[in-house]
Amino acid sequence: MKNLKNLNFVSGLFLMAIALMFGLVSFKYKIGEFSRAGPGLFPLMVSSMVFVIGIAAMVRSHFIPPVPISLNVRNIGLVLLAICGFTVLSQFINMIVGIVFLVFCSSFAGIAPYSIVRNAKISAGLIAIAFAFQRLLGLNLPLY
Amino acid sequence: MEVIHNLAFGFSHALTLQNLMYCAIGCTVGTLVGLLPGLGPLSTISLLLPLTYSIPTAGSLIMLAGIYYGAQYGDSVSAITMKIPHASSIVACIDGYQMTLKGQTGLALFTAGVSSFIGGTVAIVVLSTLAPTLGEVAFLFGPADYCALMMLGFVCVSFVTTGNMLNGLAMSLVGVLLGMIGTDVNSGVQRYTMDLPFLADGIGVISIALGCFGITEVVKNLDSGSQHSPFNGKINLIPTWPEFKRIIPSALRGSVVGSLLGILPGGGPTIAQFAAYAIDKKFSKYKHEIGNGAIEGVAGQAAADEAAARTSFIPLMAIGIPENAVMALMMAAFIVKGIQPGPNMIATHPDLFWGLVASMWVGNCFLLVLNVPLVRYWLSVFKIPFSVLFPAILFFCCIGTYSINNNLEDVYITATFGLVGYLFLRLGLEAAPLILGFILGPMLEENFRRAMLLSRGSFGTFVSRPISGTLFALIAIFIVWQLVAFFMKSRKATAPLTPLTPVAAE
Repeated sequence: MKNLKNLNFVSGLFLMAIALMFGLVSFKYKIGEFSRAGPGLFPLMVSSMVFVIGIAAMVRSHFIPPVPISLNVRNIGLVLLAICGFTVLSQFINMIVGIVFLVFCSSFAGIAPYSIVRNAKISAGLIAIAFAFQRLLGLNLPLY
Repeated sequence: MEVIHNLAFGFSHALTLQNLMYCAIGCTVGTLVGLLPGLGPLSTISLLLPLTYSIPTAGSLIMLAGIYYGAQYGDSVSAITMKIPHASSIVACIDGYQMTLKGQTGLALFTAGVSSFIGGTVAIVVLSTLAPTLGEVAFLFGPADYCALMMLGFVCVSFVTTGNMLNGLAMSLVGVLLGMIGTDVNSGVQRYTMDLPFLADGIGVISIALGCFGITEVVKNLDSGSQHSPFNGKINLIPTWPEFKRIIPSALRGSVVGSLLGILPGGGPTIAQFAAYAIDKKFSKYKHEIGNGAIEGVAGQAAADEAAARTSFIPLMAIGIPENAVMALMMAAFIVKGIQPGPNMIATHPDLFWGLVASMWVGNCFLLVLNVPLVRYWLSVFKIPFSVLFPAILFFCCIGTYSINNNLEDVYITATFGLVGYLFLRLGLEAAPLILGFILGPMLEENFRRAMLLSRGSFGTFVSRPISGTLFALIAIFIVWQLVAFFMKSRKATAPLTPLTPVAAE
């Protein structure tokens, strides 16, 4: 259990999980043989290598000083929520509303005190930039 | 003589009003974004790449190259004045920041600007002479040789960017796996698409780059909680003649080192600046001052940094193999514009190749103007608080992804890679090799399958060919060296070798 707080051990575990995810799915595709490789052969080879490296990283973690994992779920959660909200609002209403949501939601992250006036100014600036992108660079932004 | 003729041809393209404008915009925007805390060249190019889609091919590549070396320089300004380094400016922090503490910020910035100019100029000479020759050598490469070269690139990049070859190599291979998502070109089978139609063409490199670098960098800075106190110091940019004389030898040494190291797989600015710094520490007349704010400590590394940034274009344009993550992104930009970098590029697109080479020197001049007399104005960028900056960066990430296919679903992919990139960051897994693996993955698979087909399934082809045999021997030496170094270090640290009892920090 203590190992699960050790960064080096968990990174090995993470690599093994990725390798398994790709490696097991590769069996769904035709493997073939080396001279006539199927679509599954190369992913299987590469994921096997990642799996071996993952094991090596886990073994290695026993011989080097442990490093604790520091994970701040709040900031990444808020940033992802802001981006997903921006996308949903841009898709179903328009991008101007999306930009306002992006700014007001993401500003909850970090340590700076929350300011509605500052966020309104940033939103206005970004909307102006979005209009400039649309008019000057010809980007097809669903602004309204 | 032929080189001069070719360069003249290149200048005739680079000096058109339109291309001059794109070069100037690229250098300016690159410097501006590169100055921002936490944003290195890789993040800068990822953010700004979509802006070039609506620009003509030559102009967009010239602009991107400008963004790259502009960001490179902008990064060193933030390192010198505020000790906020990125991978490309770690060494600038040592003596550059010491000079700032001594009240010599202006001299440090002048030294970095002039040395970068010298480094860039030397590198362009190397680039224009070596690239065509290397392009001819590339015709000797078979599929097995390309595989070996790419594997060597992975090994070198893994070590250089992460310092931990095991993790770096794993990340390169994870990048290769991600590159397999989509339709297999040989069989037409859709792999790892989970029956989602928008994954049939694979994941876009921009989505991954913006997720793993743009969003992750923002969250990393938010987590650190630093608001980066603005630099308000006064600067005097005019050096005395004795000070100026000290810049030249060191800058020339750095230029040569940077030009050579920029060409090697896994090379590039990061390793070049360290090498140049080490050489200056060994051979400089003022070596006793280096480390305490010496001109040589800034000049050599700045020249090497800039020279390597330019010569790292050589493997990309002559062989078609990017040697680091930034070049992998540049390769993506070439491909988006319908240009396949490689031995045929010089013959099929001479205007583009020589135009780009010439524009690098033009960009050099722009950077000199931007970064020496105008640097004091750039420093006002540091007055923008991060709380204002980061929503804007997130907005550019979203717009950048969306604008590729005008598809909002791509933004979800970027958000997913933002999360994945953050997990990688917190687990100590560097994302830079992942981008290289992602770009080279399909090419590696294609060449591997071709090599195995030609050799009727025999792995002997990888060691029997002189080029691939030599490259794989180098890989083996590198891995053995790493293993020996690790075991020797472990033995020294814990004698006798016993598993450590992990102490997890609560």
